[in-house]
Amino acid sequence: MTPLQVQNGQLISLAEIEYLNVNDWSDAVSIGLSSGYRMIGLFPIDNNTPCKLIAQFADALSSSIHIIACEFPKTELKFESFANRYPQTNYFECELAENYGYILINHPWLRPVRKQSLINGNQPYEFYKLKGDEVHEVAVGPIHAGVIEPGHFRFQCHGELVYNLEIHLGYQHRGIEEMMLKANQNQRIILAESITGDTVIGHTNAHCMAVEGLSRTSVTLRAQVIRTIAEELERVAMHLASLGGVANDIGFAIISSSYGRLRTLVINSLASICGSRFGRGLSVYGGVRFDLNDENIQEITTKLLKVQHDVDIINNYLLSSSGSITRFDGTGVVSKEFAQSVGLVGMIARSCGLESDTRVQYPYGAYHYFPISEISLPTGDVFARVRLRTLEIRESIRFILEQLENLPSENIDNELQDFVPNSMIISMVEGWRGEIVHSVITNGKGEISQYKIKDPSFNNWYGLSLALHKTAISDFPLCNKSFDLSYSGHDL
Amino acid sequence: MFEPIKLRILQGDPIIHDVRNAKLPQLFRGLPKISAMKCPDGCTVCREACPTKAISLNPVTIDLGLCVFCPVCQEVCPEKIINFSNEYCIGTDNRAKLNVTSETKTITPEKASKQIISYFGKSLKLRQISAGGCNGCELELNALSNVNFDMGRYGVEFVASPRHADGILITGPLTENMAKATEICYTAVPNPKIIILYGACAISGGIFQNSDNIDRKFIAENKIDLFIPGCPPHPLTFINAILDWFDKK
Repeated sequence: MTPLQVQNGQLISLAEIEYLNVNDWSDAVSIGLSSGYRMIGLFPIDNNTPCKLIAQFADALSSSIHIIACEFPKTELKFESFANRYPQTNYFECELAENYGYILINHPWLRPVRKQSLINGNQPYEFYKLKGDEVHEVAVGPIHAGVIEPGHFRFQCHGELVYNLEIHLGYQHRGIEEMMLKANQNQRIILAESITGDTVIGHTNAHCMAVEGLSRTSVTLRAQVIRTIAEELERVAMHLASLGGVANDIGFAIISSSYGRLRTLVINSLASICGSRFGRGLSVYGGVRFDLNDENIQEITTKLLKVQHDVDIINNYLLSSSGSITRFDGTGVVSKEFAQSVGLVGMIARSCGLESDTRVQYPYGAYHYFPISEISLPTGDVFARVRLRTLEIRESIRFILEQLENLPSENIDNELQDFVPNSMIISMVEGWRGEIVHSVITNGKGEISQYKIKDPSFNNWYGLSLALHKTAISDFPLCNKSFDLSYSGHDL
Repeated sequence: MFEPIKLRILQGDPIIHDVRNAKLPQLFRGLPKISAMKCPDGCTVCREACPTKAISLNPVTIDLGLCVFCPVCQEVCPEKIINFSNEYCIGTDNRAKLNVTSETKTITPEKASKQIISYFGKSLKLRQISAGGCNGCELELNALSNVNFDMGRYGVEFVASPRHADGILITGPLTENMAKATEICYTAVPNPKIIILYGACAISGGIFQNSDNIDRKFIAENKIDLFIPGCPPHPLTFINAILDWFDKK
């Protein structure tokens, strides 16, 4: 059978979904995964009917999303794990088991996703432990040395080298997915803004796209372009913050403070558009709340030209200094094969030589009409992640300046329509970290009955574990900062 | 070899010298101004629309501890009674002062006790705890140490160990999963110590006030010294609250 195929942001009627039996479903999923599908969601259609399971896959070849659904017998929520052959499904299966009590036969490594040290209902989970002479364990967190979010890291070390790093998260779990079901419209958009405070624009755009798609509300091109400009401003600002963090971790103070200064210019540009340095309040259902006027455009253009000029000089100094090259080059390598098999996404995947950019592969909003170049580097080390950020900053600034010059003139907000009942939508956005997926389902009354969010950090935390394998433990802060993943986005 | 000098010259003078009179963008949403005009009879649109239920009526009162500074109330009010100004000095030591009415002109903390000023007035080291914070507040706190805000010039710094700290600063609504760690961290700070809440989530739970996954026992059981409202609060809000509290004029 051919799986149901949809585009990014396309409305699907629930009646179109065909539920297979467990065996057929397993076969169909295996065939899909073997032909290069990447899992982007695995959850039941409704929290009250956990037996109706939907698996979503992104297929870059056809730029589309495939949906393969299964109806389990009500009392037997179990299936043979795919994770032994396709490690990318591992974490999705863990999440499914944790949230809905699914039993995964022969699962290689069932671990808690957001619950504290519990798996299979209420059984205690034990960290992987290395035994032998000259091995030792280092435990860090949940509270870290800097002003960052909480997470627990367990290193199994052999001498100075990390043999295994286990990352245990969930401390930030606020229950956003459940809250989305109960919240009203005004609350939902604030919740979307608060999924991760550093990707406000990315998540809010994904959320708005989903809501607008579900209600068949059209958004004018001008509003879409303004959203896109904000998204790219956010990318520039956060890449600058990450670069500053990396420079700080190798003790390069002048570089670190220079990036910090430029980031202020970029987030203040966002504040001049919408009043918030993080873009809160900009997107609303049906468009954007604030329009760009000539004064805004002039101000943003001046600031970005200044950033472009300064950032080139700073990048050159950082990347030509032998002190930083010795720290960056060959440190924390993730190979292309590993990156592909565990399903890394976004800029981390692009720094491992993969092609993974929602803006190019599954275009949405203004990216349909104004393409942006995808940049990919092959080495997968800290150097690649740093260099990629510097290149993406340049490309994003070029894109923003181009859009600012040719803003279409239209109104910026349309009225939101009622939700279409019994429908599903999958909305994907390329946040600065990578692919954000919001899947929303409505019930027969036209109310939201399922809301599932996948932040890029959900895929990419395991990449950090891989990067640390056989890397000196003293390089952990540097590797961590070069990944710069979100805790709250993972924990939701 | 001249690159560092070149970069230093390029930096120019980015620091905000006068933290009290900095010019924030026109659209920045700080202290809301509520006009003394009477609401139309039976009108409750702002209260209904507010995503965090921060508004009570008769008279119109906005609880900045709950407010996430979205402009929804300003937009829906038929009489344009609520208007956000870009006044950013809104930190205070008293939770009740965060209730803004038409009579509120400014919000500032009372001067701290002599004892607190003598202990911490010249040097305040804080241990930050993110307990469900979305990284918005955390980024603004990191920005406090950058070349623009440079909080270090007032002797305020974030430290790595609670043992080195004079108090804790909490961001986020206090998730269940962070409740124990927060408690342990606070216990590890030597006496005397202070608690600062940064952002709507920490002060009241904000948009997460009805979440099933938060545990705010710690806040209820301990005395809070400073409240910094905002979503996230502007770095200057924090600097000014500290300066006013320590009476550094």
